[in-house]
Amino acid sequence: MKLATLVRKNLTRRPMRTALTVLGVASAMLLFVLVESLSAGLERALSGSEAARTLVVYRQNRYCPQTSFLPEWYATRIAKLPGVKSVLPVKVYLNNCRASLDLVAFQGAPAAEMLSTRGIEVIDGDAQRFVREKDSALVGRAFAARKDVEVGESFRFGNIVVKVAGIFASDEPVEEGVILTHLEFLQRAGPVNKLGTVTQFEVKIDDASRAEALSAEIDELFRTAEQPTDTRAKILFLEGATRDLREILGFARILGFACVLVVLVLVANTVLMSVQERVREFGVFRTLGYRASHVAELVVVESLALSLFGGALGLGLAWLVVHFARVSIGSEGVPVQFSTSPKLAVLGFAVAAACGIVAGLVPALRSARAEIVVSLRSA
Amino acid sequence: MALIELLEVTKTYRKGEHVVTPLANVSLSVDAGEFFVLLGPSGSGKTTLLNLVAAIDRPDRGSIRVGGVELGTASSSKLSDWRAEHVGYVFQQANLVPVLTAYENVELPLFLFGLSAAERHKRVAIALEAVGLADRATHLPKQLSGGQEQRVAIARAIVADPEILVADEPTGNLDHESAESVLDLLSHLHRERKKTVVMVTHDPRAARYGTRRMVLDKGELKEEGTAR
Ligand SMILES: Nc1ncnc2c1ncn2[C@@H]1O[C@H](COP(=O)(O)OP(=O)(O)OP(=O)(O)O)[C@@H](O)[C@H]1O
Ligand SMILES: [Mg+2]
Repeated sequence: MKLATLVRKNLTRRPMRTALTVLGVASAMLLFVLVESLSAGLERALSGSEAARTLVVYRQNRYCPQTSFLPEWYATRIAKLPGVKSVLPVKVYLNNCRASLDLVAFQGAPAAEMLSTRGIEVIDGDAQRFVREKDSALVGRAFAARKDVEVGESFRFGNIVVKVAGIFASDEPVEEGVILTHLEFLQRAGPVNKLGTVTQFEVKIDDASRAEALSAEIDELFRTAEQPTDTRAKILFLEGATRDLREILGFARILGFACVLVVLVLVANTVLMSVQERVREFGVFRTLGYRASHVAELVVVESLALSLFGGALGLGLAWLVVHFARVSIGSEGVPVQFSTSPKLAVLGFAVAAACGIVAGLVPALRSARAEIVVSLRSA
Repeated sequence: MALIELLEVTKTYRKGEHVVTPLANVSLSVDAGEFFVLLGPSGSGKTTLLNLVAAIDRPDRGSIRVGGVELGTASSSKLSDWRAEHVGYVFQQANLVPVLTAYENVELPLFLFGLSAAERHKRVAIALEAVGLADRATHLPKQLSGGQEQRVAIARAIVADPEILVADEPTGNLDHESAESVLDLLSHLHRERKKTVVMVTHDPRAARYGTRRMVLDKGELKEEGTAR
């Protein structure tokens, strides 16, 4: 217990230096944790269990929902193919097709079918009211949290106004970031009124291993049609839509690891300065009977404390950012949320602890190995 | 009976090609209960000798036995444990930890013994009482006078109740009055607590407190008066 007191008093010896180091560590940890959080969110977005048994039929050579128009009647043709369980025509309306920090995504589909084929659970409000009222909507729980949307109120975006009938949770993490409406409502509501056309079809199939073959069969159906299709398993569709984001994040993660290095260097520098000022003091400790290992332990614990304080502050800041900034990064209409899990907090603390220990090792060994009589002669 | 025994001890320091031999075949024996004073010109090796007795340095040749323990060949951690138990060191400067109070400074050596908090408290209180600073327990070193700091350092040296006290010019930085009180204190510890004291000093007045005096010069130990 006394060790803790000693460490605390040593760290407050130079309060400014300690504060600056802790702030530096916190900033670096903040960046590291945010990048890791977004990576985890992206992984989660791609982790839906249904994604392998769902095909997405899209207009060939179109990448933005705003430009993909497929005739609604394609659904009946696709449904007749053996191995197809259900076909859901979906109209998508987005505020922004490119990478965006504030994605608003509407998906319109036949209400009853949508409720039965998608793994949706209405956790607040009334699913039946949604089915009855043609201008109502179900809001994904992540989106509702981000935008403070509540059941019973109206949600307006541009010239689209919906009544919020309920808030839903989904087995598919990406779905929780969207707003579900009736198909016809969205077909009429958009800036371009296109009744009879949809953006995509979501095709449930019996056998995931047939995904590729069925995709080819569907595309073959419409190969010569005016609106040819491009069909892929949903997982591939999501991966395609988020490719840019994943590449950027891959690079950002390298920067995140550079941040860890910054933590290491910062803490090592501070601890090294601190032990250099205390050479004689360590000589006195040794003279009193403290072993070399005691001195090493003291230095490492100081380094660890410095790093953990910074880490805790950084994690706290990251938590604030994620919870209050409420951003969702959209990539071609796929919403990706920052994911905060206990696992990430543990990772953050583990990284901070590892940095603290590694940064303390060299100063600790130096201090422990110093000859007592030489230390006592130093200034 | 000899408590401290140096036998033909040689200590050499190398600074590059520069070789200094402050102690050349020095033999010395100090009995339990003595107040031994070591005199000598600057650079003659007094501190070097004291460091060997306090087991914070090792001789290059010769043997040094204190209380029957051979210090020259013991392992570093064994020497640490030995110091904690058997020797208290008083430096020329107080060398207190600046961020710790007088109380906490005195308490430092006690953590090496696995004592209960109550037992530590008792011993610190006794030590501070002995140096007359019980009322300054919560003061930081910078809030104490030089003489008071040195007395805290003495309390720290005796708190674990070692049988040997070594002091390296303990009054070298003090004014006359503070020096007197520190010397009285050492003398008191010698007489009443039966400590064996080995003190290095330049000051003839301080030397008078000793029960025996020797002079170290050019690597050799001589009885006082035979030198110069
Ligand atoms: N760690 C060391 N490395 C190199 N030389 C040293 C070391 N310690 C002492 N010396 C040298 O050994 C000699 C004796 O030093 P020591 O400190 O024992 O003298 P001293 O008698 O205590 O002197 P003073 O009265 O000035 O304190 C000096 O020449 C000193 O420079
Ligand atoms: Mg000296």
